[in-house]
Parts: sequence; C-alpha cells; structure tokens
Amino acid sequence: MNLNRSFFVPVNSPLHNLNPLTKLALVFSMILPAFLSLPQLAPFLAIPILIAVFIGRVQKQYFNLLLKLVLPTILFMFVMQSLFLPGGETVILNLGIFDVTRESMQSAFYTVSRIFVMISSFAILLLTTHPSELMSDLTRRGLPGQFAYVIISTLQILPQMQAKAQTIIAAQRSRGLDTESSFRKRIGSLVPLVGPLVFGSLVEVEERAIAIEARGFTSKRVKTSLHEIPDPAFDKILRGILVILVIASFTLNLWLS
Amino acid sequence: MEVISQNAVYFAVVAVIMILLFAWAYFTKRIQKDFITMTWVLIPVAIAINLTIGQIVLVLKLPVYLDSIGTVLVGVICGPWAGALTGALSNIIAGIILDPGWFPWFPVAAAIGATAGVMANIGYFKNWWKVVVTGFVIAIVATVVGTPISIAIFGGISASGSSIITAFLLETGRSLVGAVLTTNFIAEPLDKIATSLLAFAIIDGLSARYLSRFPRGENAAVEKGQKQTQMIIALVVVVLLILFGIFILPSLTAG
Repeated sequence: MNLNRSFFVPVNSPLHNLNPLTKLALVFSMILPAFLSLPQLAPFLAIPILIAVFIGRVQKQYFNLLLKLVLPTILFMFVMQSLFLPGGETVILNLGIFDVTRESMQSAFYTVSRIFVMISSFAILLLTTHPSELMSDLTRRGLPGQFAYVIISTLQILPQMQAKAQTIIAAQRSRGLDTESSFRKRIGSLVPLVGPLVFGSLVEVEERAIAIEARGFTSKRVKTSLHEIPDPAFDKILRGILVILVIASFTLNLWLS
Repeated sequence: MEVISQNAVYFAVVAVIMILLFAWAYFTKRIQKDFITMTWVLIPVAIAINLTIGQIVLVLKLPVYLDSIGTVLVGVICGPWAGALTGALSNIIAGIILDPGWFPWFPVAAAIGATAGVMANIGYFKNWWKVVVTGFVIAIVATVVGTPISIAIFGGISASGSSIITAFLLETGRSLVGAVLTTNFIAEPLDKIATSLLAFAIIDGLSARYLSRFPRGENAAVEKGQKQTQMIIALVVVVLLILFGIFILPSLTAG
C-alpha cells in the first residue's frame, strides 16, 4: 500500500466544478437513506452512483478502485454472511453442515449493497474533490481552522514519514536486522524500526509549534483565503433539494412503519 | 424494517448523549484547556505515526494492528478530548488515502483515545502493569463501541480475518450479538495491550522537559518506586476484568 496518494483525479467535469459542500451533501443524501431511512432502497441507489461516475468522468479510476477495494470485500462478506447468518426457514442450498437460507441471503444482499453505496459515494467524493479544497471550503463556512490544519498537514507529513520509514527499514536491514524470519525475531525488530521514526518526528513538533504560533495560528481574527472556492446559486438550490429529499425519506419511513 | 428503525433510535440517543457531554466539557472550559498549539501540532504527527506503524506491522507480518499508538499517546499527554479527536481524524485520513471503508469505524478510534486519556488522568499510565490494565480497559471499550457498528453497518461479518471466529461461533449456535462481542473480545486485548505498552515505551523515552510542554504532561511521569500493594490491586483488577470478559459478557448476550 502506498500512503503517498489521495484519490483525486484532476480532470474537468461538472462534478469537479460543484462546490465541495454540495458534493458532501450528495454523499450523505445517499448514505442516510441507505442505512437509516429507506434501507430497502439501497440496491437501487447504485443507479445514481453509476450516473455520477460518468458525469464526473472518473469511470476508469472508479472501476479500478471497485475491482481492487470494494468487490473483494463485498464478495467475501456476501458469501460468509449467506453461509453463516442464523435464522431463516427456506433452505436454498445445503453444503454439508452449512445451510444457505433465502432469508440470510437476502439480508446479506442488503448489507452488501449498503456497503457498496457507502464506499462508492465516498470514493466519488474523493475522486472529484481535493481534500484541501474541501477543508478550505468548510473552514470558510465556520469550521475551526485547526481542523483544516490537522487534515492538510497530516496529508503532507505522511509521505515524508513513509519515506523516512523506508529509509529506516533499509538502514536497519543493511545492519543485519531480521524482518523476515521467525516470529520472535520479527517482534524484536519492531523496536529498532519504530524508535527512530517516532522520536525523530516528535522532536519536530516543538519547532513546528513555534513556527505556526509566529504566523498567528491561535489568532481569533477572521483569516482571508488565498484560494476562493465558488459557490453559485445552482449549488445552493441543489443542497436545498437534497435536504428536502432526506427529510422526505425519513417521513416516509415513519409513515410506513 | 423494524430493526433498522430501532437502529435509528439508538443512533439518535447516542448522538444526543455525546452532544450533551461535549457541551458540558465545552462550557466548563475543559476542552479549551487541553487544545493548546502544541496539541494541535502533535495531532497530525500522531496520526502519521498511527498509519506508518500500521504499515510497518504489515511488513513484519505480526498478528496485531498497532494502528492506534499515536492516538493513545495523544490521549495520555494531551487529555481525553484530544485523544478522541486524534482517533476520529486518524480514521478519516485513512478513509481519504487508503479505503473509504475506514470511515464508519471512527467512533471506535475516538473511544480508544478518550479511554486512554481518562485512564491516564486517574493515574493508570505510570508504570508497566498499570499500562497493561489501561490496555485491557481500552480493549473492552473498543469491543463495546465496535460491536454495534460491526452489526448495524457490516451485518456482523466484515472482511477481516477475525470474521472466521464470528462465523464459527454462529455455527455453534450463539446469537449474532454474542458472537461478534466474543470475537472482538478475543481479538482486541492483545492488540490494545501491545499498543499501550509501546506508547508507554515512547513516553518513557521522551524527556521531562519535552513532556511538560503538553497540557497533561504530568500524566506520563513514570513512577520509579513500585509499591507492593498497588501491584496486587492492579493484578486483581486484571483478573477481574478477564473474568468479566469470559463469564459475564457472553451471559449478558445469551438471549
């Protein structure tokens, strides 16, 4: 696994040009109905997701992600859950001691499609929105700036720290540190790998605190942003519609039950 | 249908309790006291430590995750609220760069950080056996918070290796809640005790001057003289917690 990348794909599409908050609202208008208000509808939410993938022109990366991350997970879950979930009378398939019932298969199918909706909608958000763009838009709307600092600076520190970890692993291996043989030796090699990495990065904390303090990090004044993110009327209307749809789905749930 | 609306009710109750707790801590200025600049700068480093050590452990193929060392570290030296924030943001970052499937687990990570902070505040992060107790308590909290998420969102059997245990327990006739709870209780303590001990080793290696710059640096002052009675109390606590895990948890969920 590589910590270096975020999922963002820099192309120009209607979805890329939406305001980040609108895209976040789109994500939650998929997840809330799928999990809380209208769970029976979850399989059908795949249709808007596929449409969004093509509007966002990220189909190649999305299907790549689907094959590598989502499909193995949900296939495993579907098979395991239909085999082992208790309950249900209608036996469809009998494999020795395991019974696959229609009820367990149905519930596995719904769970898996909800997971699919959740992971896919977040994936589309991340494929079409750069994390720092999302954070600066949220900061402009009143999220404390410290949150944006934490997210963005973590995304910057991670590749550096990973490079440092690779260097330390290589250096300790060249001194004969055992990272491949018996279990006890691998546990023993954890300390010489973790120690230099952690202490090295903790030492920098103090300097960085002084540096950002000198740049007015804790100042209470409103800060201006170098990069303005547009929020046209279309976005505001779309967000309004999404809120109404989500509320409608909850009222429908109460009305049905 | 019935089950899901029930979930919505639980979700709302938990959310209201969390908001009340937050409001209480916010208006009594407990939160603001812990979030100084040093805390805000430590949090990204701690998240990076979480994820990088998680990767190193994957390279070494050890049977633990160790992906919350930084969270425990922040919880101990900056207080429970900072620990909870570190855990939550750590999962959000992992969701951004590794796999969006990490997002729903953020309450577990937040609970780990908060528990580490609370345990450190009452003095249970000062020598190794107290740290073992802390690790055990963290494991129980992680189990209790993680089980509802596992069931409500992932249907009880997710794509991790420990699902095999859940499947086995279900075959032996346990209820879904009982099976998931028992699985987590088998898998968590080893990982969380190792995590706490590593965080303790890191804190032990930091200088007192450095630690004193953090809001709860005194939590980490390592006790040198070890009193006999304290050790006995701590051992009794561990034994009681293990008994609790083995006998009481399954019978609570037997129905």
